[in-house]
Amino acid sequence: MAELIRLDNISKSYGDNEVLDELTLTVEENQFVTLLGPSGCGKTTTLRIIGGFEKPDQGRVYFDGKDITDLPPNMRPLNTVFQNYALFPHMTVGENIAFGLKVSGKSDQYIKDKVKYALKLVNLKGFENRKITQLSGGQQQRIAMARAIVNEPKVLLLDEPLGALDLKLRQEMQYELVRLKKELGITFIYVTHDQEEALTMSDKVVVMNDGYIQQEGTPEQIYNEPENAFVADFIGDSNIIPGRMVEDRLVEIKGVKFPCIDGTENGFRPGQRVDVVIRPEDIEIRPYGEGLFNGTITSKLFIGVHYEMLVKQEGGKFEWLLQNYDEHQVGSEIGMYVRPENIQIMHKPQSDDEKRMNLEI
Amino acid sequence: MKKTISTLYIALVMLFLYLPIAALIVLSFNESKSMANFSGFSLQWYEELFRSRMLMQAVGNTFSIAIISSVAATVIGTLAVLGLSNMKKKSQDIILAANNIPMLNADIVTGLSLMLCFIMLRLPLGYGTILFAHITFSIPYVVLSVRPRLNRNTDRLFEAALDLGASRGYAFRKIVLPELKPGILSGFLLAFTMSVDDFIITYFNKGEGINTISTIIYSQVKVGIRPSLFALSTIIFVVAFAALIVVNRNSDRNEVAFNL
Repeated sequence: MAELIRLDNISKSYGDNEVLDELTLTVEENQFVTLLGPSGCGKTTTLRIIGGFEKPDQGRVYFDGKDITDLPPNMRPLNTVFQNYALFPHMTVGENIAFGLKVSGKSDQYIKDKVKYALKLVNLKGFENRKITQLSGGQQQRIAMARAIVNEPKVLLLDEPLGALDLKLRQEMQYELVRLKKELGITFIYVTHDQEEALTMSDKVVVMNDGYIQQEGTPEQIYNEPENAFVADFIGDSNIIPGRMVEDRLVEIKGVKFPCIDGTENGFRPGQRVDVVIRPEDIEIRPYGEGLFNGTITSKLFIGVHYEMLVKQEGGKFEWLLQNYDEHQVGSEIGMYVRPENIQIMHKPQSDDEKRMNLEI
Repeated sequence: MKKTISTLYIALVMLFLYLPIAALIVLSFNESKSMANFSGFSLQWYEELFRSRMLMQAVGNTFSIAIISSVAATVIGTLAVLGLSNMKKKSQDIILAANNIPMLNADIVTGLSLMLCFIMLRLPLGYGTILFAHITFSIPYVVLSVRPRLNRNTDRLFEAALDLGASRGYAFRKIVLPELKPGILSGFLLAFTMSVDDFIITYFNKGEGINTISTIIYSQVKVGIRPSLFALSTIIFVVAFAALIVVNRNSDRNEVAFNL
């Protein structure tokens, strides 16, 4: 796939507050890219820089190989679905959708057909003459989509478009978005703080925090192989524990030695301090004494599909988070086992000083 | 029982508020010149009002000043709000505080200081100075009623219009201005009624030989009020009442828009 958008070394501050720090990111044609992170991580600012609503302090934005950093938003071949939809309240649904086409001077007949087509695409046939204020949140969301895609942009920017909807509607709209993207065959850049949304819809997830990209990759990569403790913690429940490499392919956590699949070949030397992620669903329950380590179940919670348990490690204070389909009673003593491939070893996050030293070398 | 008392109470309050005005309206249709007895219905005072050149000139001055000053204040005030929105938060707060002070200031102080200012600048007091004074004291009201309409929401709508390919000017005219319209309209009506209503500031800045309705009523108090002034006051009341209804209906609609 060809590269469509490239952010090159973008920095942006508001006063003393540095929002983006030398961010570099490429988006390929026809990709569904999600910028994921907690509020204040710089994801919305990144989107606004792509849309042209903010100017970066430093760095360039390229679209299809052309530098568009200084192009105003109305000259950019992309459209945005805004967080609170930003529908024009004094116009009807039809007038809202037609706005972009009217501005570009299309004929009345063309506009009429296009509006009709766009409404059909978002499943709101015949809504042309409704008032914006008569629409529900979900309908407004669809109209905002229709208003953007009717202009046939090459890229659609979506700023937390599902944030204001309830859970059921949000899940429905996730399917809708994926369907729309397939039908239109255009690039989506999607901003959210919801990891589930990011994982279900995206081709590529970009996890951001503090103005840095923490990790980018497919949803599977992000979930199964988080590169640092932040990503592991942000994407789903996890046991994130400091540990130490004992030897190649053997890591010690909380006094227990776990065989793993990482070692010197991917940069983990014996004796090195590391962070280890073990997903709660990857800890298997065995009879007492038959696992790698033992513990006592201290609490149990049924959360729909499975049980979530806290297990206090034998001879220690640490509590492990477990998820299991089978019910186990609180107070029972169990053995626990983790497959080597389910142990994800990560480098300790570097301090800012270390980062600087690395740069100088 | 409770309901009767509360109805009675409201009736009493309404009576206190509107009885004086009702008395004025009734007496304006009185046959005789008496201020105490209603002897019969007649329109003679209205006739006298419309025949009196002096009174009609005052009416003309009042309304021409009100219209010109409120239009000017609306334009200036709206532009001020637009300019403010691009300033830093701190400067905005300072200017808005400065904007609020003239509204709290006693009219007599505003009137006196404007007069001193005109004299210092050697501007002859007259129609022009009244107009200038009215524009000055109306602007803060326009700013106050337009500003709440220009908020994060309008910023977003503006951005959305740009995003859809509109130029800044087009986006402003087609999207932002309609959003500001209710605020602009109530600002205008507020400025208009303030201008019609004003006596003190006008009195200090009018000079010789020119009168508005309020100043002419005041000057006649000394020689004895004729019932034609009741007729005039009745007309003003009706006009103000109508304007009030329009403003209220307008702000009701705004509230609906806010709630959504």
